[in-house]
Amino acid sequence: MSEVSVRSLTIEYQTSAGWLPAVADAWLDLRPGEITGLVGESGSGKSTLALALLNAVPAPGRIAAGTVELAGVGDVTRLTGKQLRKVRGGALGYVFQASQNSLNPLKTIGRQLLDLGRSHEVADLRALIARAKDLADRMGLDGDRVLDSYQHQLSGGMRQRVGIVFALVLNAKVLILDEPTTALDMLSQASVLDIVRKVHDENQLSTLIITHDIGAVSEIADRLAVMYGGRIVEDGPLLDVLRRPSHPYTRALIGATARIAGDVDAARALPGRPPDLTTVARVGCVFRDRCGFAVETCATVEPVLAAWEDGGRRRACHVEPSTVLSGASGTPAAVGEPA
Amino acid sequence: MIQARGITRTYQTHGAFTGAHAVPALRGVDFTLPDGGAVSFIGESGCGKTTLGKILTGLETFDGGELVVDGVELSGLSARARAKYFRRIQMIHQDPYSALNPTRTVEATLGDPLRMRAKEIGGDPGKWRERAAELLTLVGLEPAAVLPKYPHQLSGGQRQRVVIARALTVDPEVLIADEAVSMIDVSMRLGILSLLRDLRTRLGISLVFITHDVATARYVGDGGELHVIYRGEVVERGLTDDVILTPVHPYTQCLLSAVPIMRGLEEPGPDRMAPIRALDERTATPGCLFEPRCPFATQECALTHPTLVPLGGDGAGVGSAAVDVGDLGDGAHVHACLHPAARRVVGVEIGAASA
Repeated sequence: MSEVSVRSLTIEYQTSAGWLPAVADAWLDLRPGEITGLVGESGSGKSTLALALLNAVPAPGRIAAGTVELAGVGDVTRLTGKQLRKVRGGALGYVFQASQNSLNPLKTIGRQLLDLGRSHEVADLRALIARAKDLADRMGLDGDRVLDSYQHQLSGGMRQRVGIVFALVLNAKVLILDEPTTALDMLSQASVLDIVRKVHDENQLSTLIITHDIGAVSEIADRLAVMYGGRIVEDGPLLDVLRRPSHPYTRALIGATARIAGDVDAARALPGRPPDLTTVARVGCVFRDRCGFAVETCATVEPVLAAWEDGGRRRACHVEPSTVLSGASGTPAAVGEPA
Repeated sequence: MIQARGITRTYQTHGAFTGAHAVPALRGVDFTLPDGGAVSFIGESGCGKTTLGKILTGLETFDGGELVVDGVELSGLSARARAKYFRRIQMIHQDPYSALNPTRTVEATLGDPLRMRAKEIGGDPGKWRERAAELLTLVGLEPAAVLPKYPHQLSGGQRQRVVIARALTVDPEVLIADEAVSMIDVSMRLGILSLLRDLRTRLGISLVFITHDVATARYVGDGGELHVIYRGEVVERGLTDDVILTPVHPYTQCLLSAVPIMRGLEEPGPDRMAPIRALDERTATPGCLFEPRCPFATQECALTHPTLVPLGGDGAGVGSAAVDVGDLGDGAHVHACLHPAARRVVGVEIGAASA
């Protein structure tokens, strides 16, 4: 039973060239007790997809099709007004990208917490504060000190943790983190990841982590979904996907990560550049221009995300999984980036 | 060749009510950058690594120590005389989105410094177009397509390549890359890193690579020295692979432990660890700067300030060390820890020889 089920979700943005899909036909499930990592580069549509879970896609974007079913609430994309506000921050906890910059600089953390309580009509604000302190303490923060602090008095890692406190203080069952470690250095990143895993386990949450950093997410996620050009191109259990990437993009992305173990020279850069809304292919596979495995069909028919193996793996690729796994055509070693 | 000896930089700050106090950003950093070599600096935010990059490019002053470029000590020179030396050292900034003037095309961005450079070396200023095309090709861009474009028409990776091409217009001998790939898309990152590596081998440009990401330092700093900075002080130094594979300072070990493990492909090192508390600058540290956060600190660590000593001696030297580590030559593995111990903290590739 999924906590959140995203079904054939399509999100479009209005541009001078008409309505273009930023996310096309996305299917995703967030299950209790499971951390899902959603990996993609800038422009892949991962943040747009996450905002759609809150039904908060900013104009000029719109949810063109599909549903986001939230257990016990219903389709979030149909909610409006007060009902929607209750769900945001209530059942769905969201930690925004650069949440370290999203706090009000003029109010202490405690006052902002009270604002949150009032806007959600929490009857017992004292209990809310106590719960926030408890959460903060469990994340290795000094609860009292943090609530009395202004945001500038906290470090980046601490603000990120405050973001998580805000997301969870109303007993959200779903936690969405957008780029939680991007602006942090290695040590803070490690401790934030550690804390996310801990609060996730303690509260049996359904957690979604959106990131461009496949390394950071592989440290803590249970499932991995890879997005490219607005499509989920591969998903499945994390260990399995990392060991046996079945989509050429996943394979290339793992291969292009500078790593601390193994052969330095084994890393290979991807040729080309990631597409954006206006340059993404309208017909055929969105990755074919950069793909070392592309065949004729890729130019004309868009592959659909389909199950291909037991164990809940899905891929959207015309090339046989065995071909990609064996790496017969290999990833091109080109370093140049065509203009 | 750049030699830095005991570079210090202290910022004087004035709080509205707290009065003046000094914030040491660098506490005596030594390093040698041979021609065509590479030196990497790693450390967490606020450790002084960016200040060091700015000092090396002349964007920031230093208040102690000496900086010697090609045998000339710079602090003795007038600003005008110094400029000549600093021109050989160019910086690649972290953010390619703000490093380029948005109102100028790539052509204009590269044209001015190229014409200036041509006058300087007595070349033909009319030839700058060919040179611009040559440089763009070198950094992996298609000149005809890129030259008429404005920065906003380029991707992050392309912009960073333009920034690198611009740095190359004045024929520098040294490039300083301060977190040069942290704002670049992941699939483009390795391309920029291998370009930097390539410039080292093809043009003999030396590289100072400043980052918090150990894995990228390993990629570009191959064969060079790696310096680990903590609160303005180098706590461990050695050949990049030596420091990464056999770190002996607990701070280095914490940093390396923090590198995410690609589960499924790598296994965490058996001795993986984390600092026991967050950095609090207000805690006085008369002894080792890392002592309050160190999992292995002893009473001695709180009292005695360790200085860099070669690995293999018995604990770090105190006060005036018997050996001047600066004379040890390149690649010696040195550390500033009273109780050095090798620990296996780095992830291990699964399937690699498990010996």
